[in-house]
Amino acid sequence: MTWTVVVPDIVAGLFLGAFLALVAVGYSMVYGILRLINFAHGDFYMVAAFVSYSLLAAVTVGTKINWGNVVWVGIVTMIAGGVLAMSVERLVYRPMRRAAVLSVMIAALGVSQVLENGVLNIPAWGSNYLPFPVTPPSAGFNVDGVHYTWTQVVIVAIAAVLITAVWWIVNRTMLGTAMRAVAQDRAAATLMGINTDRIISLVFFIGGALAGAAAVTSSLYYGQINYLEGFSLGLQAFTAAVMGGIGNVAGAAVGGLLLGILESVGTGQFGAQWALLFAFGALVLTLWLRPTGLLGERVAQRV
Amino acid sequence: MRIKSTTCLTGVAGVLLAAAFVAIPSVAPVASAAATSSSTYLVGASEPMTGAEAQAGTEIYDGELLAVDNINAAGGVLGHKISLVEEDDACDPQTSVNAANKLVSLGVQAMVGGYCSSAAQPAEAIYARAGIPNIQASANSSTLTQAGYHNVFLVDPGGPLQAQEAVGLFTKVLKTKTLFIADDQSTYAVNVAQLTAKGLARTSVKVLPVEAIPSTNVDFSAVIQTVRTDKATAIYWTGYFAQAAAFVRQLRAAGITIPFVCADGAVDPTFIKDAGATANGTYATISVLSSFLTGSSAKAFDHAYASKFHAQPGPYSAYGYDGIYALADAAKASGSLAPAKVIKALHGLKFAGLTGEVSFAADGSRLGAHFVVLEVIGGKYKLAPQQPTM
Repeated sequence: MTWTVVVPDIVAGLFLGAFLALVAVGYSMVYGILRLINFAHGDFYMVAAFVSYSLLAAVTVGTKINWGNVVWVGIVTMIAGGVLAMSVERLVYRPMRRAAVLSVMIAALGVSQVLENGVLNIPAWGSNYLPFPVTPPSAGFNVDGVHYTWTQVVIVAIAAVLITAVWWIVNRTMLGTAMRAVAQDRAAATLMGINTDRIISLVFFIGGALAGAAAVTSSLYYGQINYLEGFSLGLQAFTAAVMGGIGNVAGAAVGGLLLGILESVGTGQFGAQWALLFAFGALVLTLWLRPTGLLGERVAQRV
Repeated sequence: MRIKSTTCLTGVAGVLLAAAFVAIPSVAPVASAAATSSSTYLVGASEPMTGAEAQAGTEIYDGELLAVDNINAAGGVLGHKISLVEEDDACDPQTSVNAANKLVSLGVQAMVGGYCSSAAQPAEAIYARAGIPNIQASANSSTLTQAGYHNVFLVDPGGPLQAQEAVGLFTKVLKTKTLFIADDQSTYAVNVAQLTAKGLARTSVKVLPVEAIPSTNVDFSAVIQTVRTDKATAIYWTGYFAQAAAFVRQLRAAGITIPFVCADGAVDPTFIKDAGATANGTYATISVLSSFLTGSSAKAFDHAYASKFHAQPGPYSAYGYDGIYALADAAKASGSLAPAKVIKALHGLKFAGLTGEVSFAADGSRLGAHFVVLEVIGGKYKLAPQQPTM
């Protein structure tokens, strides 16, 4: 294993890592505030991908990419993802606020099934693999004989900007203080005059919106969407959130990138059949050495 | 705190386990047991109707329906109208076993269907115990005939012939120096990949270690790195079509232009749609399909299919069609619907099907079909100008 051979694998892992990080942040924030592992989160990502597909298909002529369209579709999709997450919270999780966490988790699995089979039964979407309406140009640059496209660079940049923005909101604004207060002690936060239901809604909106961003960028990158794609990606993103220290934004980002890179290096160095073993072996090792995850210290103190 | 977090993780494990069960979708059978009467010939059809392979499963089932329509319109089998009972196997071993048990308990007298070898395999024992013909339309791994069941028949010619065609393509037509073979860890794909690697062992083609890519994988960048570092000059993908499209798209985006060859699991209009322009110039090994057969019966099939289902037949629809005809012809030949007699007749069957002459070897594998190489030209599957057998 030489360094020059590993570097392209690491870079390749950044792209998968960027998508995982975006989805992981939603998992992590919801867990932080409700102690709920929202198994429907991966399906928010999937539904958002279908929304962006339909919007882009409606405005695209041929397969020529129009970046203006991609940008507004991206923004609308983020809002749609956020609204979907918020609605699910309002309709399913809020009425169960006093129920045992395990019951809510089962409800989350139910939501996941409803969303998957809902998409399956919409005629325009269905069970087939749908080609994304636009294909990004392959223009880019070469490093050491390996070709990277500008789209790939933009995708990683978008993920970095969005996650930094969310981190800033959570850690540097009044709103973020309110979120952390609700996460720490919901009853006390209510007594301090914080509208906890609104804060929880907002957390779901942010998580859903980031999943929407991941959906648009990854569909653009991978070029096809399917109604089952949310489940496996969601599971990986959940793993990433645990690895980074579930409950905090920076941890989710680090966990996402790390898992993406580990899978990529695992594939590149040992073969694809070893990738998951390599990545999940690293998860076990992480949890063994640091049971709260890489950046999970704060969670431990709080709990 | 430790205790608390452990309980939570156990809970998570429980939920994940629950997810595995919840994820099994179920589809109500088209006909119920109540529909059975003395004048119907009840035939089960277990196929993926949900999940990633739902499209292919539906196309096979539609091919079967068409054959059933034709046979029933001509008076049925020995005066009995065929009634198909459809059951979803979701291309999943557990679901497939449930489907098989359900079909047997409904009292079907034969099974015609199947797409995924990994789903077909565990169900074999159930149909064998029930003593009914198990005609696999399109599941075709050579592992299916190795268990030695007397009632298994594969309409799709399967792994060994396909591997032989691939060996011919890489040695004679493409004159490949270094070949990268990848499968998706499914029974059939692994079978074709291994047989091809074995077949090439005594040739000048250098075969890299076969890469087994999980079927949920959509990111091929690390795999593409391996293709680049190992200086592969051609790729053989033996998995299904959805990943094939993602693979070839990302391969071309990375600036690698070496020949990309699919096995028949990836031959599907969706592959061309999803891969877009990058599908052009790719090859595929597949047994002769109805759409590449000339002659009036193939044309009539295409026409009838299109007018009934408002879609072109899928790559395996004709196997479903021939599977039903194999059963009906065997029943007619034996003069009885009794499963044991039909099985016996299937062993001696020979008729001209859509996919060539249909007859079965002693182990149940298909005889009388042959493979060809397709090339995607201008967004359509065409017979490749250069065939290995010429």
